[in-house]
Amino acid sequence: MPISTLKIKFANIAVRTAATPDSPVTPLVIETQHATKGYDLDVTVPVERVVDAARIMDETAFMLEAISGVDWIAEQQVEVVYDYTTVISGARVVVRTRVPRMTPELPTISDIYPGANWHEREAHDFFGIVFTGHPELIPLLLPEDADFHPLRKDFGA
Amino acid sequence: MEKQTEIPSGLVHFAALDKMLNLARANSLWPMTFGLACCAIEMMATGASRFDMARFGCEVFRPSPRQCDLMIVCGTVNKKMAPAVITLYDQMPEPKWVLALGNCAISGGPFKFPGQYAVVEGVDKLIPVDIYVPGCPPRPEALIEGILKLEEKLTGWRRWPVASAS
Amino acid sequence: MSIEAQTLHRETFILNLGPQHPATHGVLRIKLTLDGEYIENAEPVIGYGHRMHEKMGENRTYAKFLPNTARMDYVAAMFNTHGYVCAIERLAGITVPERADFIRVITAELNRVASHLLWVGAFLIDLGGFTPLLYTFDDREQILDLLEAVTGARLTFCYYRFGGVCNDIDDDFIAGTRKFVARLRSRMAMYHALITKNVIFRRRCENIGPISAEICRKYGATGPVIRGSGVAYDVRKAEPYSIYPRLDFNVPVYDQGDCMARYLVRMDEIVESLRIVEQALERLPSGPIMAEKVPRILKPPKGDCYFNVESARGSFGVRVISDGTDKAYRLKLRSPCFSNLSIFQECSRGMLLADALALLGTLDLVIPDIDR
Repeated sequence: MPISTLKIKFANIAVRTAATPDSPVTPLVIETQHATKGYDLDVTVPVERVVDAARIMDETAFMLEAISGVDWIAEQQVEVVYDYTTVISGARVVVRTRVPRMTPELPTISDIYPGANWHEREAHDFFGIVFTGHPELIPLLLPEDADFHPLRKDFGA
Repeated sequence: MEKQTEIPSGLVHFAALDKMLNLARANSLWPMTFGLACCAIEMMATGASRFDMARFGCEVFRPSPRQCDLMIVCGTVNKKMAPAVITLYDQMPEPKWVLALGNCAISGGPFKFPGQYAVVEGVDKLIPVDIYVPGCPPRPEALIEGILKLEEKLTGWRRWPVASAS
Repeated sequence: MSIEAQTLHRETFILNLGPQHPATHGVLRIKLTLDGEYIENAEPVIGYGHRMHEKMGENRTYAKFLPNTARMDYVAAMFNTHGYVCAIERLAGITVPERADFIRVITAELNRVASHLLWVGAFLIDLGGFTPLLYTFDDREQILDLLEAVTGARLTFCYYRFGGVCNDIDDDFIAGTRKFVARLRSRMAMYHALITKNVIFRRRCENIGPISAEICRKYGATGPVIRGSGVAYDVRKAEPYSIYPRLDFNVPVYDQGDCMARYLVRMDEIVESLRIVEQALERLPSGPIMAEKVPRILKPPKGDCYFNVESARGSFGVRVISDGTDKAYRLKLRSPCFSNLSIFQECSRGMLLADALALLGTLDLVIPDIDR
């Protein structure tokens, strides 16, 4: 599916939620240069639309490559970045969302992409992000009784 | 029930028999396949065709610790893995030896930095180590030299020529 | 099963496979719920090799992180370094001279061959055949000799730098590589006769461990796993980088999706990599091996950037987020084995334990790459 069609699909869900008054993130759909950024489409969605974005990607036969967390401590937000790619053309779409740092919660996409199960557990390990609806949000890489989140910027030494 | 930590020593020592037993033990060390990280590949290479640990008697790699006498700790020991390392060490029957292969097993290696939260800085913090083989990863020749040093420790004399610098 | 067997009272039991086990390729633990010898549920437990690479990426300067990249997937270490170095170069806008690009591809493809050879030996050991390991390790040692002369390391190479490579290749290397390519090509028939045509190997691998293309997509499995399920996805063709667009090579794809298909994909990839090395050696240009004016302390501009390469195990990706200082703000390493292992729980249901281990073997896992 060409990037332009995807832009329209994402713009639809973004526009619908622009009217939400307490949405903390401005919905944005940016087409980027693959050669300079490594991805073709950069979509920022509000937290409530993360599952819809995943559904669009699944319907377009994209595959989920990674879910990363980023701790923006200065802005008191945690960003969650979803990397999707398609096997047909190598096009790459990045979906971002931001949640408040003290209570990082967003819905899980592991019903749509079972591979997200482990990625979300890893993000929870490192940042403490809670993915609501996740079947088993227990530590993946850290010990079973770990109660620390090492990749947060205020961790440890 | 208390854990048995004192192993009773023999009442009678036979000098010549002990020497023979030590020679037999040195010539037939059975290592345990305990590859944790990168050094495990160098241990596999040492056991494979070019470097061939079997020449020195270390051919019989056994996965079960109950059948081994040498634990070659290849790689970084994690805090999550530490209880397993101690359990495996306890499961090995006496006499047993430990060879720490690589910088990670000696001291945490490249993963020792202030603020680190996952790595045990050296396997000798958990179990007693007999031989340290430094390197990241050490060459197979270094591992063989470590085995020969262990044999020297067992028998009291070195039966193999020292590798010359030329 | 007979009527008596069906009405027998059966209980499931939980068995631990690992973290110390000869067939788990590192410290992987699998909590098996077994019904006799059939797997009801196999839950991989990872983290026993977690070595905080992403945390170290934030604590070290970009150059000081280079040794870490080789220690993640140490069997095919060049690719991890390649992905990291190219991600930083993309962010900082550094162009690599042509000769350095050629040298990178030659050494990376040699590393791919070494990785697949090691995999073949280890896979056969998992299935119970010891002999191929001795043959493949001998060939692999020859590759390591070549790479050691140029890079200085046998396993954990730290050869690429931002802007090129640190050491030039000489005529000995080129002659030795050409000789090696010819030798290995002539030995492939021996490998196929020893392994592929072996009736025990075929019974253990054909129609065992089927993975569909849809499962690969849902879990993000890439590399020989997805190419053994009929999908021709190779990052070198889908998102071409370095000099791959100028080289002529095929991407082997097999449709069956079983263990044999994934094995054949890797065997064919060895041949294709030898082709790539040969072509790159023929067209190797002269010139500098490092870009000019690369600052010693690299401070890429603010922003984020993604780069992925086709590692021996799949698509290895690096996302770097820079805040303008000499250390990365966030370094995300997308490991191919992580996604490849995540399909194991679903795909191993109802399989015999030995068949599940054959499936685990063909996923080609390096556990420290998963645990990072």
